[in-house]
Amino acid sequence: MDSRSGPRPLDGVRVLDFTHVLAGPFGTRVLGDLGADVVKVSTAGRSQGVGSDPARPYFVMWNRNKRALALDMATDEARRIALDLAARADVLIDNFSPGVLDRWGLTEPVLRAANPGLIVVNMSGMGGGGPWSGYVTYAPTIHALAGLTALTGVPGRDDIGIGFSYNDHAAGLHAALAVLAALEARRRDGRGQRIEVAQFETGVNFLGPTLLDLVVNGGRAEATGNRLPYDAAAPHGCYPCRPLAGAVPGEEERWVAIAVMSDGQWRSLRALLGEPAWARDPALDRAAGRVAAMDAIDREMAAWTRTQDAEAVMQRCQAAGVPAGVVQSGVDLTRRDPQLRASGFFTTADAEHPTIGVQHVDRLPLRFSATPVETYARSSLTGEDSAAVLADWLGMSAEEVAAGEAAGTLR
Amino acid sequence: MTAASPGRQPDPDAPGALAGLRVLDLSDERAIYGAKLIADLGADVVRPEPPSGDPLRERGPFAGGEPGPGRSLWYAYFASSRRSLTLDPESPAGRSRLRELARAADVVLDNGALGRAGVEAEELLAERPGIVVVRSTSFGRDGPWRDYLAPDLVASALGGVCATTGDADTPPLKLFGELAFMISGIYAAIGALAALRHARETGEGQIVDAAVHEALPTALEHVLMYAWYCDLVEWAATPVLPRQGALHWTTVYQVLQAQGGGIMVTPTPDPEAQLAWLVEEGFVEDLLDPKWQDPDLWVEYVTRLMEVMRAWVPTKEVGALFEEAQARHAPYGRVLPPELLLDNPQLGARGWWRPRTIDGRAVRGPGGPYRFERTPWRAADETAAIPAGGPLPTPEALLAAIGWDER
Repeated sequence: MDSRSGPRPLDGVRVLDFTHVLAGPFGTRVLGDLGADVVKVSTAGRSQGVGSDPARPYFVMWNRNKRALALDMATDEARRIALDLAARADVLIDNFSPGVLDRWGLTEPVLRAANPGLIVVNMSGMGGGGPWSGYVTYAPTIHALAGLTALTGVPGRDDIGIGFSYNDHAAGLHAALAVLAALEARRRDGRGQRIEVAQFETGVNFLGPTLLDLVVNGGRAEATGNRLPYDAAAPHGCYPCRPLAGAVPGEEERWVAIAVMSDGQWRSLRALLGEPAWARDPALDRAAGRVAAMDAIDREMAAWTRTQDAEAVMQRCQAAGVPAGVVQSGVDLTRRDPQLRASGFFTTADAEHPTIGVQHVDRLPLRFSATPVETYARSSLTGEDSAAVLADWLGMSAEEVAAGEAAGTLR
Repeated sequence: MTAASPGRQPDPDAPGALAGLRVLDLSDERAIYGAKLIADLGADVVRPEPPSGDPLRERGPFAGGEPGPGRSLWYAYFASSRRSLTLDPESPAGRSRLRELARAADVVLDNGALGRAGVEAEELLAERPGIVVVRSTSFGRDGPWRDYLAPDLVASALGGVCATTGDADTPPLKLFGELAFMISGIYAAIGALAALRHARETGEGQIVDAAVHEALPTALEHVLMYAWYCDLVEWAATPVLPRQGALHWTTVYQVLQAQGGGIMVTPTPDPEAQLAWLVEEGFVEDLLDPKWQDPDLWVEYVTRLMEVMRAWVPTKEVGALFEEAQARHAPYGRVLPPELLLDNPQLGARGWWRPRTIDGRAVRGPGGPYRFERTPWRAADETAAIPAGGPLPTPEALLAAIGWDER
C-alpha cells in the first residue's frame, strides 16, 4: 500500500479499526480514502456473517484502502499486541456493544496511560447507560425505533421505511467527522478523548425539525409519500414513464421525479405541457391552490409522462427550468448516467480482488484541489497485511510475526 | 466503553472541539447540515443573509403553525449555533463585506453565493494560501447536468435513493424530511475538516468540490453491489432489486404488523435462538425438519423462518414483543412514531434532549448525533453577529465589529 501518489489530507494518521459490518467500516472507509493508515483488525471467533466475510462483495464494498490484521483476542499475546498498537495509534474505533473492549483489557485507564493522545470512538447502537443500553440493533432496527420508518412511506402505512441501511452510512460519516474534529481539538493540548456515536441518537437527530414541531406545537408528523410535509410545492412527485427498451431484469418500470418549487416553475411547466385547459385554471397559479388540487394534478402529470421516456421528460423539463430527474437504479448510476461518467466517479481498485475479481469503486465524493484522493487499494483478506502492519507500527520482525502465526495469536 | 455516559457528562461550558475556528457559512439546503455540524462542535460560524432574510427561514414547520420572523423550526434546527449577519450581496458595499469575511475565515462553506458576489475561490486562495473553501453543488462544476436544478426529490431520484425506497404498489419514494441533503451536508463538513487538517500540518489551503450527485450513491448499501456483483450475491436474482417496502435485500428483516402497531423483526443474528422461541410459542411448522441442517439450504431456511414469523407476529402485542425480543438479544425494533420518542426511556436516561429557546419559549430541543468526552457538542440558539438596530459597520470596520480582526 505504498503506491500512494501525492499527499492526502490524513497522511500520517493511524487508525486502529475494530469495526465490522457496515456503519463502522463505512466511517473508516472514508478515513482510509482520505489517506489515514487504517488497520482493520479481525478478531478470531467473532461471527463471520455475510457482512463480515472478506471474500464476499458486501465486505469488499466498505473495506478498500485499509490493511488487514488478524488477532486472536482470546490470547494474552494478541491483547498485548493490540495495546501496543493502540499506544501508537491516533484513533481507535469500534462498533461493538459497550464493554467488549473492556473485556479484552483495553479499558479506559489502560488506553489513556498507554496513549494520552488517543481518540477512542465507540459506535454502539444505544450508547452506554440507559435501559436500552444492551439492546441489539441493526440499521432496520434503528430506522424503526428512531421514527424514520414511520415517516418514510405513504399515508396510512408504517411498514415501508427507507429501502437501504441509511443510518449505517450516516452514522459512519458522523464517526469520520467526529474523528476529524477530535484531531483538531487535540492540536490545542495534545490530549485525545472518547467519542460516542450512539446510532439510535444519530438517527433520532435526523428528525430535528419534526421533533421541534412536536415539542413546540404538539404537531404529529405522518408519512406523506413524495409530498412535502411542511411546505407548499406542487406538482411534487414521481411519475410513471414508458418502459425502457432493453431494461435489465428488475428495472422494467421507469419513473421521473418532477418537483415544482415556485409559481414561476409552474408557469414554465404549464408552457411545456402546451397550456392545457386543466392547467390554466387560475386556482392553480399559486402554490396553495396547486397543493389543494394535488391529486388531480398528479393524475394529469402521470398521463403526460406515461407515454414518454423518463430521460426525455427530464431533459425537456430541465431545459425549461423545471426541476426533474430520472428515478435512477443502480444500473442507471453505474452504466448510463452521463454526469457520473463525465466526472469519472466510478473507477476500479488498484488490483484485482482474489475472490471478487475486478473491484469496483465509487469514489470519495470530495474533490480536493491540493490533495486529490486518487488511491483505491483493493480490500484485503483476513490478516493479509499482518506482517506489514506489525513491522510498520511495532517494528516486529518477520520471524516474530511467523512465530505468532504459528502460535495462533495472529489469526 | 461508556464514553460520556450519563454519569460522566463533560463540563458543559468547556470549549467545543472546533473552538476558535472561523467559518463563513454560505451554505444552502444542500450543505447546511454540514455547517450545523461544524457550528455545533464549537466553531465560530457567521452566516450572512440578504436584507430580505435567508429564504430558508421560510421553511416549515413553524412555531404556532404560521410563518413569521423567528418561527421557522426548520431554521432553528439547521441554523443552530450560528451568528447571523445581514448584508446585501446586490450592493458593492455588501460584496465588499462578504469579501472581507471570506478573507478572514479559516473555512468557507459555499453553495455558489461566493461566485454570485464576484468572489472566486481561486482568488481567495491566492490571497490567503491557508484557506479552505468547500464548494457544494448539485452535480459538480462540469458535465452535461451541471446546470440542472435538483431540490431534494430530484436529487434523491437521480442519486438512486428513490428507486430502492417504496413498495411494489407505491411510486418510488423520497426519504422523509432532509435525509438526502444531510448526507451531502456531512460530506461537505468532512471535506472542510480534512482539508483543514492538511492546512494545519502544511500551511497549504485548498478548494474542495462536493457534489450531491456523487454523495448520495455512496450511501445506498446494496444498490451498487447489486449492479456490480449480482452474480456473486446469493440473494441477488437481478442487478436491480425492485422496491419491496421494508423487506431488506437479504429478505431477513421486515416490518410486520403485531397487535397495536408495526415492528421490525428478523431471525438474525441467531436463527437458532429464534427457532427455539418459535418452538416455545408453538409455531413450529416444518422448521424442525432435518433437511434444514444442510448448509446449502441456508437461504431457503431463513426464508422459511421468516414465513413462520409472519404468521406468529400478528398474534403478539407489539410493545411486549419488542421488549421480549430484546431481552432475548434479538434486534427487533418497534416502529415508533415520533411522538413516542418524546418520553423515550433511553433518550431520557441519557439526557439526550437539550434546552433551546424557540419563538421566545424555553423548550427541549434535539440532542446531538454524537457525544464528545471533553469538548461538548452544543446546539445553541442563533445570535446576531451585529446587535440589531445599529448601523451596519463599513466593510473596513466589519471584522473588528464581529471580533474577526485579530488572532
